[in-house]
Amino acid sequence: MMERPISPFMFPTWYRFQITSALSILHRLAGIALAVGSILLAWWLVAVASGGQLFAATHAFIASPIGMLLLFGWSIAFFYHLCNGVRHLAWDAGYGFEIRDAYRSGYAVLAATAVLTVLAWLYVLLA
Amino acid sequence: MAKAPSLANSTALRDGAVFRRVEHLGSARSGLWEWRLQRLTALALVPLTLYFAASILWLAKSDQGTAAAWLGSPVPALLVILFVLAGLAHGLVGLRSVLLDYVHTRTWLIAAQLLIRAGAIILGGASVLAVLKLFLAR
Repeated sequence: MMERPISPFMFPTWYRFQITSALSILHRLAGIALAVGSILLAWWLVAVASGGQLFAATHAFIASPIGMLLLFGWSIAFFYHLCNGVRHLAWDAGYGFEIRDAYRSGYAVLAATAVLTVLAWLYVLLA
Repeated sequence: MAKAPSLANSTALRDGAVFRRVEHLGSARSGLWEWRLQRLTALALVPLTLYFAASILWLAKSDQGTAAAWLGSPVPALLVILFVLAGLAHGLVGLRSVLLDYVHTRTWLIAAQLLIRAGAIILGGASVLAVLKLFLAR
């Protein structure tokens, strides 16, 4: 017997792949990643305020390969969620609902995410 | 019977009539407040996150003293506190909507909501205390 499809699990079994739904799911995943990242944010703020060994340990963790990989992932999640969030706010204000516009803004969000992430890391690596 | 005015070209952000319709005779309960909070914090977070990201990039290679001096000065202290609080409020609304989609048992839903709220309060409290410590030590 086939299971009845239940709402948040429609993709990809029941719905064909579309950039719009894929970006919508990515928005949520990026949001969850950023919520997890708020732990590091608070930890870093406390480390800056405490100084001494805690700051040294925090700095060592951030500069380690795992720390840099996490930061890289969070930077993508941050720029994506920011750009796509602006796209959502435009929809909330009633703009960009035509299918063609939704596709275009979706691709624009992906391009902006890539450009901003690359620029940020170029600055870190070169400055 | 009087015909209700068309809301075809209205959206909730642009036209209060949408809010008035869903709030009073409509189906909206407390969720509308959350919807508004999510959008308002989103708007606030656009400049706040850009400010914080630019500051972090600028601080990327500096030592603890520079970072502490920056975080303790009045404008960064205020903006970082606002950023953390708006971010946590925004994250709570978002995480709750994820929980509502995926957690189908009442017990687990309540437990998970308590957990994310407690987490946000602890992270927010620790962040605010950290910034205030540096600000007040100036």
